[in-house]
Amino acid sequence: MTPPLVSIRKLVLEVSTARGTARILRGIDLDIGRGRIAGVVGESGSGKSSLAACLLRLLPANLSRIDGEIVFDGTDLLALDDTAMNAYRGTRIAMIFQDPMTALNPLFTIGAHLIDVLRRRHPGLARKAGTARAIAALRSVGIADAPLRLSSYPHQLSGGMRQRVMIAMALLVEPDLLVADEPTTALDATVEAQIVALFTDLRRGFAGSIVFISHHLGLVAELCDDLCVMYGGTIVETGPVAEVLAQPRHPYTRALLACELDHDAAGDRLVSIPGEVPDPVAEHVACVFAPRCQHAADACRQSVPELRDAGPGRRAACLRWEELA
Amino acid sequence: MSAESPLVEFSGVSVVFGGQVRALDDVTLAIRKGEVMGLVGESGSGKSTLCRVLVGLTSPSSGTVSFGGQSVRDQLAREPLAFRRRAQMLLQDAVASLSPRMTIGRTLEEPIAIHKLPRAEAQERLADILRRLGLPPDVLAKFPHQISGGQARRIGVARALVMRPEMIVADEPTAGLDVSVQGDLLNLLLDLQREFGLTYLLVSHNLNVIRRVTERTAVMYLGQIVEEAATRELFQAPAHPYTAALLSTNPAVDPDKRQQPIVLQGEIPSAVNPPSGCRFHTRCPVAQERCANEPPALVELGTGRQVRCHFPFSLDPRRH
Repeated sequence: MTPPLVSIRKLVLEVSTARGTARILRGIDLDIGRGRIAGVVGESGSGKSSLAACLLRLLPANLSRIDGEIVFDGTDLLALDDTAMNAYRGTRIAMIFQDPMTALNPLFTIGAHLIDVLRRRHPGLARKAGTARAIAALRSVGIADAPLRLSSYPHQLSGGMRQRVMIAMALLVEPDLLVADEPTTALDATVEAQIVALFTDLRRGFAGSIVFISHHLGLVAELCDDLCVMYGGTIVETGPVAEVLAQPRHPYTRALLACELDHDAAGDRLVSIPGEVPDPVAEHVACVFAPRCQHAADACRQSVPELRDAGPGRRAACLRWEELA
Repeated sequence: MSAESPLVEFSGVSVVFGGQVRALDDVTLAIRKGEVMGLVGESGSGKSTLCRVLVGLTSPSSGTVSFGGQSVRDQLAREPLAFRRRAQMLLQDAVASLSPRMTIGRTLEEPIAIHKLPRAEAQERLADILRRLGLPPDVLAKFPHQISGGQARRIGVARALVMRPEMIVADEPTAGLDVSVQGDLLNLLLDLQREFGLTYLLVSHNLNVIRRVTERTAVMYLGQIVEEAATRELFQAPAHPYTAALLSTNPAVDPDKRQQPIVLQGEIPSAVNPPSGCRFHTRCPVAQERCANEPPALVELGTGRQVRCHFPFSLDPRRH
């Protein structure tokens, strides 16, 4: 078996806040396979966006501790000095942000953005060749009048178009790893469908791996190969997406699925998960989900369960998954 | 008022901003008393303008809106406060809709003072509402930054209810809420609706929410209502191609329920210079020549369904 492209081991991220140390990531173990699309889902505060940012080592200013390993194709990114790390960004690892307006510089044309990215990847690329590739990239993401659009400024494009430009920029880099942080959340439904269709098309021609962050289970179910469910700065379950969603092992995954309203059950009470999300400042001494879990037993409140094997290619951080399955 | 006559009736309502932007264009819609009406559409489709017109914050450029059988314009001219008590709005951003410099108690008492309600009675009513919403009494002494987001949403609901409205207009009440808590808020809204016989207009971009909690649904596109029907029928068999496309884009977790999304080309055109004929024809996968020239009227189709399309049911999501 080929080794995974990214191996994250015991990743800990802590920041200092007025209330004390907030534990954003509490020991993440995750592999991202080559050529796979890994979906990361979780609610606000689960740490999914922080995990995405860590993959590019974009760390918060109030960082107080980062520990563990992010081994990318044999190199631990956390062990690199800043210059060495910088060499990975926009070359082998690229990112698509949630809001395409703030991610594009309003003072530069679309063409300037694209050629900038290309020059970084291929220093010494001739202007003409760069322009030709930029036009081809815009076409590949479904932008009409590509040559004309090169001289447009971001404000002259619609939201969906801007997100297409962001995707074109990321693809020009031909990265080994593409990190997409909620790339469709800011878009309208029919435009979101266009971008999702674009991702599905592009993956045929894209050899790298994608990490797709989302709070939308349905979207991840359609688009991704693997699923990683986060809660309170930890991973509670991972595995192939269809299997995890068909037979969730962790009670949190099961509860999240029950909250999805995509079934016809008019008249029934809507389901929610009682209780509140864990306080990032509190230390974990028990299962992170135990206070809200309807299956929690005494053992669950006494130690932090490990993320352990739960069937072929699957792992769950629940002491009782065998009993509950 | 008979059970048959609607509580709210829009007839031919248009709103034009700056002489150019037709935010609402010939909207005709009836909401029956005690009904939960859903409103869907993408940004710029006119949902929020429709809400504002309903509660009297924006006046129509043409057409009439009646509430309880009387024109909203007349009610606002005669007794503005009395009308405002009848229809209350739940704002999308619950935290931002509370003044950071006022305690929750002062925020909730403000409408009582403005409307000169009998103080003792209003206080009692308020205490009752807080209890029902599961808010501790000490919340009144707190400032908005001292309460949780979930509590802020409940305060918003309490503020709307203290006026004993007949109608609540909820603009994206679950936007930004995690799925694990959105069920709670919706259950609460539905309980209150049954208990007080309230009528709701619920705006949401979340189609699953619309499907589960509303009885009827109106779909908007570029300032017009393109389809309105019983929610169940609308989701089972959308008549307008735009509705069909919109519903098909809703990704399902269950692979058996997944349908091939109908991916529309382009984006919503500008309301300043809307397309000729049917406003949707530039993106419609089944548009014909007539659609580009002749604007379709909103016509009744079967029982209780209105559609603005020359060729309804021509885009079948299952056969696509």
